[in-house]
Amino acid sequence: MSATTSKPLITNQLPSGRNAGTASLYRLAWRNIWRQKRRTALLIIVVAYASLSTIFFWGITDGQVASVVSNQARFLIAPALITTTRYQDDLDPENALPDLAFTAGLNDIAGVRGSAPRIDFPALLRSPYTSETALVRGIDPALEPQVSDIPEKITQGRMLQDRGEVVLGRELAESIDVRLGERLAIDASALDGPQAAGLRVVGLIDSHIDAVDQNTVLIHLDDARALTGVTTATGVALDIARGQEKAVAARVQEQLPEDLGAYDVLTLLGAISQDLDNNVISMIPIGLLFAIFAALAVTSTVLVSVMERSRELGMMASIGLAPGRLAWMVVFEALFATTVGWLVGLALGYSLNWIFGTWNILGPIFAAASDSFSSYGFGDEFYAVSKPIYALYASVTILFAGIFATFIPARKVAGLEPVNAMRDE
Amino acid sequence: MKPMKPFVTVLNILVLLTTFAHAQSDANTIINTIIDNQRGGQSGRFTVTMTVFKPDKESSFTMTSVSDGNDRSLIQVIAPPRDAGQAFLTIDNNLWLYNPRLKRSLRLPPSGRSDSFLGSDISYNDLAGRDLQTDYTAAVASETAETITLELTPKELAPTPYGKIVITADAQSYAPLEQVYFDQRDQAVRRISFANFVDVDGAAFPTHIEVENLLREGERTVVDFSDYAFGIEVPESCFSQEALESGCQ
Repeated sequence: MSATTSKPLITNQLPSGRNAGTASLYRLAWRNIWRQKRRTALLIIVVAYASLSTIFFWGITDGQVASVVSNQARFLIAPALITTTRYQDDLDPENALPDLAFTAGLNDIAGVRGSAPRIDFPALLRSPYTSETALVRGIDPALEPQVSDIPEKITQGRMLQDRGEVVLGRELAESIDVRLGERLAIDASALDGPQAAGLRVVGLIDSHIDAVDQNTVLIHLDDARALTGVTTATGVALDIARGQEKAVAARVQEQLPEDLGAYDVLTLLGAISQDLDNNVISMIPIGLLFAIFAALAVTSTVLVSVMERSRELGMMASIGLAPGRLAWMVVFEALFATTVGWLVGLALGYSLNWIFGTWNILGPIFAAASDSFSSYGFGDEFYAVSKPIYALYASVTILFAGIFATFIPARKVAGLEPVNAMRDE
Repeated sequence: MKPMKPFVTVLNILVLLTTFAHAQSDANTIINTIIDNQRGGQSGRFTVTMTVFKPDKESSFTMTSVSDGNDRSLIQVIAPPRDAGQAFLTIDNNLWLYNPRLKRSLRLPPSGRSDSFLGSDISYNDLAGRDLQTDYTAAVASETAETITLELTPKELAPTPYGKIVITADAQSYAPLEQVYFDQRDQAVRRISFANFVDVDGAAFPTHIEVENLLREGERTVVDFSDYAFGIEVPESCFSQEALESGCQ
């Protein structure tokens, strides 16, 4: 049996004249979309696919940003960092923390899971073959794993244990041609003049994040103190759960002396953070394109439906349903089918984001697919993100479908000549 | 076999330790003498000609230099005209540069100390400090009637990337003949040869030095000293910022 004959077209509830209720039009449109089951299923699939794609697209886009920020927090900077306010203006060891007395109660502040002092300073690395400038980080080997994931990414050798040792990013080690177990000379400008030390490479980091693998130099905090003349630290890194950095940094700030500041990772990223926001904004046209293509697919399907139903639409017009109301009926048909597709797409899209946000499925694929991902700071971990607003983004498809349906199939219906339409085969 | 008496064992160890300490002391004395010979051992004034050979070009510089025989020296470029006026002042481990075009002097940061001196195979680090004496432990590797060879290995935390330096000197005068720098894979990476010695109050001062980059074929630097005068009184003012900019009279 044909789908077109599964339900009666004209019932005793058929609205007539201009006073017919809009509710009746809704009911008629709703019934009509289920008369053409295959076509409606196609419409729903198209819209569901568009909604799913939109939600997944934004989940991945925001996941990229979250991945970069997370990697910055866990590998390059810290979830939050305490420094002097002067140090933020001038990253010079002479602006180091005046003392570390404030660190005594840090771990008691709600949200602070750990803390570790650091000394960051510029230095020259020398091998027998070449030399290279780098930003060296002096760390406490016992405390650093609380605030950084770098120790987990040491793929050759081991983490720092004592003075006289250095851990390098794998690519940095390659560029200055120094191997595990070999000596590296480090020259620095101390507060009271030049200082230098020869340190033995005990570990190599391979994080698949270019900024880490090409730049990281970790030495013992005491060696950093000897090289810089700083007796305290240039900063104290804090471990804070992802997403709570700003709020916890604000709480820490309340406990700090006046000349110290607690800066969350996004604040520390500064211009990079702004760039990430701009990247997301630049993705909006792509998201809109998704919606437009899906709406066009819906419109074309509705248009075909209208053309196939010319005869019955002409009949409806001939028994009193005004062309304008017929046009609205067609628009409602498009909107109903699109809404159902949208709801299906929401369910599938959020499910997909949940899967890719729970398990690191995409990270290894991206890392294996192209080296360029490491240059963007993604690493080999990549999780999708889910936000309620994605449902709104996906609903743009419905909006466009309504607009297009109004302008194309509905206009065609509104201009219908009942006599001519009924002659159509 | 009779068991060894504890007293004899302790005595042997003491003898061994004393011998080692004595040998170490000897090696340190020898390296000090070699370095003193290399530097002239006392204050002096020189004219220095440096020729830099690269595979595709050759350039030559003429400089004047004064030294207090220890850790202070002033070098001024007088030719070619393009580079004339550049000056380099070394005091202990600090090094200042003067650029006549910019009319500015600046203290060389640590990051610049391994840079090439006037494009040669000599680094600024080579101009400053006495790192062979301070950063390495010397041991006599071999000795013949003509030459003595010392092997220098880096001390713990010493700021050197080299695995070892092998120094060959005249066995009698301890005049330096050759220094070979090895990486940590036992590969020679740099050789410095000394020749044309002159006697400076008993010290054998080399007036011809060749620095060869063993990693890049065809790259070497030749330094010749002339118009030298040793044991002269060098005014304190020669080791000042004013002298760096306007010369040492």
